Amino acid sequence: MSVQAAGRRAGASPAVVLMWLAAILAASLFVSVMVGSVSLTPREVLRGLFEGGSQDAAATIVRKIRLPRTLLAGIVGACLSLAGLGFQAISRNPLADPSVLGVSSGASFGLMVAVLLGIAGPTANPVLTTLFAFGGALLAAILVYAIARVDGRLPMTTLLLSGVIIGLFFTSCVMLATVVLAAAELQGVVFWLMGNLAPANAGTLLVLGVVLLVGVVVLTRQAPRLNLLALGEEQALQLGVEAERVKRFVFVAASLVTGAAISAAGSIGFVGLIVPHAARLLLGPDHRALVPTSVLLGAAFLILADLGARTVAAPTELPVGVITSFCGAPLFVYLLRRRRGAEAW
Amino acid sequence: MRYAENGGYRGWSRALVVFILVVVVLSAVLGAAGAAVVPDMLGRPVAIPDRPLRVVSLAPSITETVYALGRGEWLVGVTAVCDYPPPARALAKVGGIAAPNLEQIVRLRPDLVFATAEGNSRNLLDQLERLGLATFALRPDSYWGVVESILAMGRALAAEPVARRVVEGIERRVRRVQDLVAGRSQPRVLYLIWTDPLIAAGAGTYLNDLLELAGGRNIVWERTGAYPRLNWEQVVARAPEVILLADHREDSERAETGSGHMPPEWHTWQAVPAIRTGRVLAVPSNTILRPGPRLGEGLTRLARAIHPGAFGRQEMP
Repeated sequence: MSVQAAGRRAGASPAVVLMWLAAILAASLFVSVMVGSVSLTPREVLRGLFEGGSQDAAATIVRKIRLPRTLLAGIVGACLSLAGLGFQAISRNPLADPSVLGVSSGASFGLMVAVLLGIAGPTANPVLTTLFAFGGALLAAILVYAIARVDGRLPMTTLLLSGVIIGLFFTSCVMLATVVLAAAELQGVVFWLMGNLAPANAGTLLVLGVVLLVGVVVLTRQAPRLNLLALGEEQALQLGVEAERVKRFVFVAASLVTGAAISAAGSIGFVGLIVPHAARLLLGPDHRALVPTSVLLGAAFLILADLGARTVAAPTELPVGVITSFCGAPLFVYLLRRRRGAEAW
Repeated sequence: MRYAENGGYRGWSRALVVFILVVVVLSAVLGAAGAAVVPDMLGRPVAIPDRPLRVVSLAPSITETVYALGRGEWLVGVTAVCDYPPPARALAKVGGIAAPNLEQIVRLRPDLVFATAEGNSRNLLDQLERLGLATFALRPDSYWGVVESILAMGRALAAEPVARRVVEGIERRVRRVQDLVAGRSQPRVLYLIWTDPLIAAGAGTYLNDLLELAGGRNIVWERTGAYPRLNWEQVVARAPEVILLADHREDSERAETGSGHMPPEWHTWQAVPAIRTGRVLAVPSNTILRPGPRLGEGLTRLARAIHPGAFGRQEMP
């Protein structure tokens, strides 16, 4: 079965799907800025967006709360989806995602170290916190990689198992620190790790945007090789793909993207797992189309999930992970049932 | 009709006889063991032996109350966060409030364990019951709940007159505060237990009652969870005129209520009146977040923060 054949079998042309997704993303952005736990009329929102001083309530809500938060949700959703896509591609396993491979836990651990050193928090330099989370993510990824490697190869089962083990190890490190050190700052970390899309400042958004761009560029460049890798490492080797090199590139890029997402928003489950699957069910297994599809779909998904988290139980706010799992699971089942037999993986 | 009534009457009298018998037998059995039965605040009867008790406290407010009732020497175990009055620090520690160590509690062979339905989990109460430990639950979920908790502990610890005096002391301070803030406009107040994320004192809490007694209006009026996690959007829209931050530092009681504790990134929220006018105050939290005998002091601190003009310099908490 060639990649092109599978792509055709999965249905619509990539360009059409991408245009639809871009429209959906634009609509999510629009709705997320218009709607919140405080009801503002469209006129108030528009006035708040373009005029109104720093003491104006509507302007503050729209410009300083909804807009940055919507952008953050979009970028984090895109990052997590991209990371999930990358990890699934190189492990050739549909269950791989940043949390299954232990990379999320590594990033959380890196963040905790940053907090303990007193260099994290909302006022901290976003580049520095991202670097620490990235460092943790990369450390976990390298450990997983090293443990899973057998005779210079990366078998699927050992990769997943070592991912789970490393993930549990770093999670227990974080829990140990929160219990033993009992420092007031670490209680904040616990909330943060539960997933917290608080208003982000421009610096954080900029760093995240750049990291996302790097991730997209790397995965897009590697996409043709990832397609060949999907055929199996033997075939990929015969076709001239240096499988290990490709894996290393994608591993580092996906870890970087994961670290950035977690440093800004804590760990948010389910996005990295289901969005790449949804993209694959829409467009088939061609990674050249999957990269932009996952990014757009992930962004729209997390923006809408966060809209739910902000409004469902207002004035109380839910952790966004509650919504992503609650909506993600049935959506995933639906997509799975609809495409059954299409052999989308 | 009459027949039926008669039958009903006979049924009732039989039930009454059985009930009296049960009560007589029960009190004879318990009396032999020298126990009194006192209902706790979840309505469960708790058998309490008639002798100096070995008491374990599972919350700082309970520890403070036991000492205020003059029963400090009965305490054999407290939580790791029970630091007041100072002698409490020297007692055996049974772990934190959320998950105390059951082995430690059992090892101390307590006659009575005091728990709070507000801080300890219902699951913990059940576990203690299953271990055969007499567990007395308190429920300080309103101002009256706090007062009733102190009185109930007085009954359980055979210290009712002292408990009434402690409550009278609190009520005196409440009346004093009420006199001072009477007639003043009631500003919109937000009391935050945590700042990132924002966790506020909600409507169904004793803190809400305290804010009202202190002459303020809580901006969280919905009963969606006792301590809801708020969103900045709500804070901006509800425009609090005073924001009070719980100062959790260990030595915060020695510090004064101060305005220098606002997180620096909050300067961006100029649309919030409290932030625009510099009325974000950190208030020492121990007397406020512990629903115990020092609640009157806590109320005075809150009222001073909300209505600084109503209090002269000499008026200490």
